[in-house]
Amino acid sequence: MVDRPDPHGGERRDGRPNRDDRPSRDDRPSRDDRPDPQPGASGRTRTDPRITIAGREFNSLRKEKTILLALALQLFIAAFSSFLVVGLVSLYDPGQVEGYEVDVAVTGDASEELIRASREVRGVDAEFYRSEETAMRAFHEYRATGVDAVLVAETRDDRVFVRAVAPDSNVQTTIVVVQLRDVVRSFERAERTDRAAYLDSLPLELPPEASSSPYFGFTYTVLLPLLLFLPVFISGSVAVDSLTEEIERGTLELLRVAPLSLTDVVDGKLLTAAGLAPVQAALWIGLLELNGTSVANVPALLALVAALALLICGLGAALALLTPERRAAQFLYSIAVLFVFGGTALLPNGPINAAARLAIGSGGVAEYLSVAAVVVGSVVVYGALRHLVARLDADDLA
Amino acid sequence: MSRSAGIVDRRTAVLGVLALLLAGTILGAGLLGGGVALDRDVYRVGVAADSPYRAPVERSVALDARSPDADALRDGDVEVLIRDGEFRAVDTPKGRAALSELRSAVRSHNFEQMRGEENGSAAFPVVTVLQYVSRDDTLPDEAFADDGGDGEVVVGSGGDGSGGDGSGGDADGSGDGDDAAATGGGGGPLGVPALSGINPLGGGGSGSPAEIQPPFPFGSLVLAFVFLVPMNFVVQAYGSTMLNERINRRGELLLVAPVSPGDIVAGKTLPYLVAMIALTALIALGVGGSLVSVAAVLPIALLFLAATFAGAMFARSFKELTFVTVTVSVFLTAYTFVPAIFANVTPIALISPLTVVVRDLQPLESVSSGAFAFATAPFVLCAGVLFLLGIGIYREEDLFTQRAVPLKLLDALDARVSRPRDVAVLSGLSIPFVFVAELLAVAVLFALPVSLTVPLLLFVVALVEEVAKSLHIYAAFESGTFPRVRRVALVLGALSGLGFFVGEKFTAVSQVVGLPELALGQAAFAPSGIGVFSAAGLLFAPLVLHVVTAGLTSLGAMRDLRWYGVAFVGSVAVHTAYNLTVVSYFG
Repeated sequence: MVDRPDPHGGERRDGRPNRDDRPSRDDRPSRDDRPDPQPGASGRTRTDPRITIAGREFNSLRKEKTILLALALQLFIAAFSSFLVVGLVSLYDPGQVEGYEVDVAVTGDASEELIRASREVRGVDAEFYRSEETAMRAFHEYRATGVDAVLVAETRDDRVFVRAVAPDSNVQTTIVVVQLRDVVRSFERAERTDRAAYLDSLPLELPPEASSSPYFGFTYTVLLPLLLFLPVFISGSVAVDSLTEEIERGTLELLRVAPLSLTDVVDGKLLTAAGLAPVQAALWIGLLELNGTSVANVPALLALVAALALLICGLGAALALLTPERRAAQFLYSIAVLFVFGGTALLPNGPINAAARLAIGSGGVAEYLSVAAVVVGSVVVYGALRHLVARLDADDLA
Repeated sequence: MSRSAGIVDRRTAVLGVLALLLAGTILGAGLLGGGVALDRDVYRVGVAADSPYRAPVERSVALDARSPDADALRDGDVEVLIRDGEFRAVDTPKGRAALSELRSAVRSHNFEQMRGEENGSAAFPVVTVLQYVSRDDTLPDEAFADDGGDGEVVVGSGGDGSGGDGSGGDADGSGDGDDAAATGGGGGPLGVPALSGINPLGGGGSGSPAEIQPPFPFGSLVLAFVFLVPMNFVVQAYGSTMLNERINRRGELLLVAPVSPGDIVAGKTLPYLVAMIALTALIALGVGGSLVSVAAVLPIALLFLAATFAGAMFARSFKELTFVTVTVSVFLTAYTFVPAIFANVTPIALISPLTVVVRDLQPLESVSSGAFAFATAPFVLCAGVLFLLGIGIYREEDLFTQRAVPLKLLDALDARVSRPRDVAVLSGLSIPFVFVAELLAVAVLFALPVSLTVPLLLFVVALVEEVAKSLHIYAAFESGTFPRVRRVALVLGALSGLGFFVGEKFTAVSQVVGLPELALGQAAFAPSGIGVFSAAGLLFAPLVLHVVTAGLTSLGAMRDLRWYGVAFVGSVAVHTAYNLTVVSYFG
């Protein structure tokens, strides 16, 4: 925070700090004419102009604190979605709520079988009640009786009709209903076995129950892809913005006076934008590891993110150069991203899916092939972009 | 203002429609094709081709069938191995997850198989009907209050006459039976919606227990999300037009025209608002939402536009605007979408207008007008205030200058303060934001144990309210609107506290939906006197508190940022102490 806003501070151009000192630096190498467009061809000792541009881009991002905002944003998303899932899991998986038991009042002529079936379900305590009336009274006086739900089981026409009564509208309802379902399921299985003679085929025996948190799957299939690909999306947006901004403000002209070609400018901007994504991805993977989630195939994942970032940023830069108006460019960029992510998500081996399987450690040749395909795609896009830039005249853009 | 509406050039409009159509197509195709499966083949199961378990494994999205080599398990090529009717899984979290995935896959396979049986009563010997019955006092103690002692529940129900709302539908039934009966675990809880048709809500079930659905309105939730998708696109274009005016002084011409900034902004905003309403109506038509859905989505659209407008006024560059827009989109999407997940579970869900949509989309559910107002009013008010702030700096000296976003925010606040009484008005206007922030805190904390969350929540409440009461005073002092005199600072603080106190009374709307019945909801709103103080003498205790703390921060704000910070910490401490006292003695 700035301590005291300067009344004239409004005239500052915070966004582009390096532009002001550019002329003085450009004075040093005494060049009288336009520099050659081939970087490095003159054998100068200065740093690569692309690096300079990249540094300048990075500085502008740092000055505007946009990187921090982006990271905070991703953290918010990650925390929020994780929190949500943990909350949901504890809501839906009674096993997660330690020591919580659902008391069920069972009544009706088939209650004996039902109670027997309920013993197979963890966290359920079924008790026999003489009549539906007493059971419902116990249900309503739950503070004294502790009854959470009522099951009324009556036999009619060869079937057992079970009426399940769960409390309305409170947080526990979900747990109660899940438990009731498990009880009735187990009951159904038992009844079905009794009637096996009338069935053409018997249902398969279920695999043993495993205490597993659904959060496990979520981490790899939703959270990790989200954290890996959100930076890519933001990077592409930055690439679009930083180019359209130069074009709209007319500052691309200024850059041309500097010893730079348009290719250098575009390269520099791409370098910053696309370079940030894998760094952020690595950061998230590191944080997940700290959090006890082991991520497999990290190099392949980072390669995937880097290639995808180059691909998306390349697309964004091309769009920005072709439609020199920010509104249209951002629109088209969004469409392109939707196609790249939405379209590839439909494929059985799209980047999102491949990333999930690589991270969880189920990756094989197919996943490496899809990483390679993305790498090839990014190289193709980058080549096409260079071709496009070489053909463009900066005068057309300004 | 039809002229400035015409500024939206046709090409962009066409592009926008095109983009939305494409996005919709992709989304629709993905959902209908069932193709978007994030967890496709994440677990590998070794199973022989002639095993009866081969079919369920192959049908399951998340499971990948491999050959059952004896060594595959040890080599880490598979997670679960099925050999000789025996299930063996690696002893890792992944192995256990794979096993439970397999279990639910087999279960849904069994269900399908039984449906093909001729003897219906043998295949489905049990017919289940699920009923939800309201109990007089719906909240068991252990769900929220950790133990008795402080008697929160008792006083709460005595204060406002046992406000059992019992709003939810009591006949939800088990009519949610899709073909995807294996919701118990098929594809992870949040994997991907298994929508079997356009409207997943229709269709009756066979009555099998496998079809019992916990109250989780997944279908409506996905449909409700569709409402949010186009907004993210529209605000991008909207933000661009707004910032465009600020680049290279392009908006100068409009400013010198004989129209007020408010007219300019209204004219530039209207087409986008109309576009959003049109899209919302189209979506509502498509998914079967009623007018209620459209009316509930409208405040979200307004807030999206308002926040983007304010962002475009504050941002220095397109890059910054992008981040502001993305932040706004993500925050609003999360804020509206996440609580809606709990639409059938807890009244907290009503902090989001999307909950209204979810309930509206479900058959046999209705939304009371009180609940509707509770969900939508804060959004409308927030949008109004944001537009007001943005329009305040829609003038030459601010439009074409470059300042950091926080400084712009201070400018915007200062632009609204010219007389001392404006301070009170602005404090009152901050209420919607305070309300939203506190509701967010309640929603985030409600799953944790009460003994931990109540003090935390009270602290957050104090923090939020102190910011709301003092930030504009600081801004006004910094810009030199008022002389830096102690007496002035005290007057401003008192006015700010008074404005806040009056505005706070409107949070009484939270009673409509029964939020104070939750221990946390009560903790958040009790210190402002809602549902707790019946004695008239205590009615003004919050006023005293607000005046005192606002005066304290105001004294600090008078000097400089550092003093402001010190005074702020002090008043937050006082405020928290007050909150704790109120909640533990009167709550």
